[in-house]
Amino acid sequence: MSRLAQGLVLLLLGGAVLRISAFTTEYLNYVKPGFRPFLIAAGAVVFALGVATLVQEWRRPQDAARERSRWPGAAGGYGGHAEAHPGPQADARSGGHGDGHAGGHGHDHSRGPRVAWLMCLPVFAIFLIAPPALGSFAAARDDVAPPPPPREVVEGYEPLRGDGPIAMPIGEFVGRAWGDPNRSLTGRQVRLTGFVVRSKKSDAWYVARMQLNCCAADAIALKVAVRGAPAPPENTWVEVTGTWIPPRSDKLPLGTVPPQLRAIDVTKVPRPVEPYE
Amino acid sequence: MSDKALLDWSAEADSPVPPASWGRRSAAAPLLPWVFAGLVVALFAGRSLFAPYLTSPALQTWSTIFVAICVQALPFLVLGVLLSAAITALVPPSFWTRALPRRPYAAVPVAGAAGAVLPGCECASVPVASGLMARGVTPAAALAFLLASPAINPVVLVSTAVAFPGRPEMVLARFVASLAVAVLAGWLWLRFGRTEWLRVPRASAERGWRAFLAAMRHDLLHAGGFLVVGGMAAATLNVLVPRSWLAAVAEVGWLSVLVLALLAVVLSICSEADAFVAASLTAFSPTAKLAFLVVGPMVDLKLIALQAGTFGRSFAARFVPLTLALAIVVSAVTGWVLL
Repeated sequence: MSRLAQGLVLLLLGGAVLRISAFTTEYLNYVKPGFRPFLIAAGAVVFALGVATLVQEWRRPQDAARERSRWPGAAGGYGGHAEAHPGPQADARSGGHGDGHAGGHGHDHSRGPRVAWLMCLPVFAIFLIAPPALGSFAAARDDVAPPPPPREVVEGYEPLRGDGPIAMPIGEFVGRAWGDPNRSLTGRQVRLTGFVVRSKKSDAWYVARMQLNCCAADAIALKVAVRGAPAPPENTWVEVTGTWIPPRSDKLPLGTVPPQLRAIDVTKVPRPVEPYE
Repeated sequence: MSDKALLDWSAEADSPVPPASWGRRSAAAPLLPWVFAGLVVALFAGRSLFAPYLTSPALQTWSTIFVAICVQALPFLVLGVLLSAAITALVPPSFWTRALPRRPYAAVPVAGAAGAVLPGCECASVPVASGLMARGVTPAAALAFLLASPAINPVVLVSTAVAFPGRPEMVLARFVASLAVAVLAGWLWLRFGRTEWLRVPRASAERGWRAFLAAMRHDLLHAGGFLVVGGMAAATLNVLVPRSWLAAVAEVGWLSVLVLALLAVVLSICSEADAFVAASLTAFSPTAKLAFLVVGPMVDLKLIALQAGTFGRSFAARFVPLTLALAIVVSAVTGWVLL
């Protein structure tokens, strides 16, 4: 991999990262919102490194003579050669068998490692596949719903204030349904926003949302079973208004069955900018 | 002969075979920027051309997870590469010989404990450890640093405390077990490791700004390439293995420890986030979760690829099983004592 190619790969990668973080909100499909400044910084560093590499490459014919005096071992393998045969002839000779050397050691600062070409793959994926936020395919993979967050279970949730339907994150609904000793959901109308996942076994369906801790690789599906409304098409984003159906027995261990909601109204909504909870 | 060599050198310093490339610079070099420009246009056009057709849910899920792993690791990788380049190019070598104890057996625990100051995840620690070795730090001590730093730094410990509220013993157990594994692995490598297994990266004698840029570019391209390999493997397994399979084995004590250790290897979650995932696996015993937290930052798919790329395959083939076995045993013992 020549230095020119190294600079161009860095430019591509830095540009792609800047594109998804600084210029669009696509990064929200992959990581948490708070990660944006780090992504922009990293993309800028990679991009700047690519630019610096290209500038060095551009100016090289002019300062080749100076570089020759400053970098006696640069063209040869990394270490060893330069001390063994100093001088320009040695450089040319060690350059001659430098290919095998670089392949074996991969530690030559002027010729980049071949594996670096793979860094184009995420760039291609970002541009050509344009990976969307995780949807029903990922949510349907784990049938076991995750447990409620443990903290609130100890103290119990705040009672719900106001009247009329209350909009809440699906995670909060699941937590209140499973782990709230005060049973604050009883008789209250709530409004949940999520995408549609249809059960593989029955004709039941769920309104679901993925929860991220750091990036999409650790996403967990939060699901609420919706009763009393026909299932919309898979993966559509909907707003479901309804009331909680308390489980008939307390014997089922937490986390085996998603909490249920009796729907009053199901409306199609556009996909939110922040697809994860 | 000497004349020709001089000409070659000034024409194409990076050429692997100077006679073949001699005089081709004018033809070959300007081609690449045009290919690149064409590629950029194709990428922007390709989004509207290809994206509407590449909609298979499995492919989309795979690529989302793949891109997420790469995007999430990149800032940490850049941080590690910046630090590593600063170590190799800006810090004088004599600093490390003065900072660390002279005797290798004493240097290992000191380097391991020093891992607590690098606020990053495992992607950052590989280039930093390689930079330390390049500067003459005993490999075993640099390896102890490599293993300890992603698990015991303040950011990771705070996130563990947040993920396990009201359970400070989990943070303590993670710290103790991770540091113990790192120091043990360092000592074992010192006692039984052979120099020819480990490819110690050598720093150029040059220092200063140009060397800084060169070291940074090299490390970033190298580690980045292997990060992509690990990201692809992790995304594939993430899509293929449903997590519900895990529930079945959660009841068996010793098996659950093994299963969560292997899950940590497969999922390749960043060490700053793995505590939240561990906390969500409620069916498992605390000891199994501890194994997940100890193994994850030390052995996972993207880390194996990074280590094999940085230190050589014969190193990774020995060091990875050693670390994995140590991590499982130590976390089982720590869990039994502390949790």
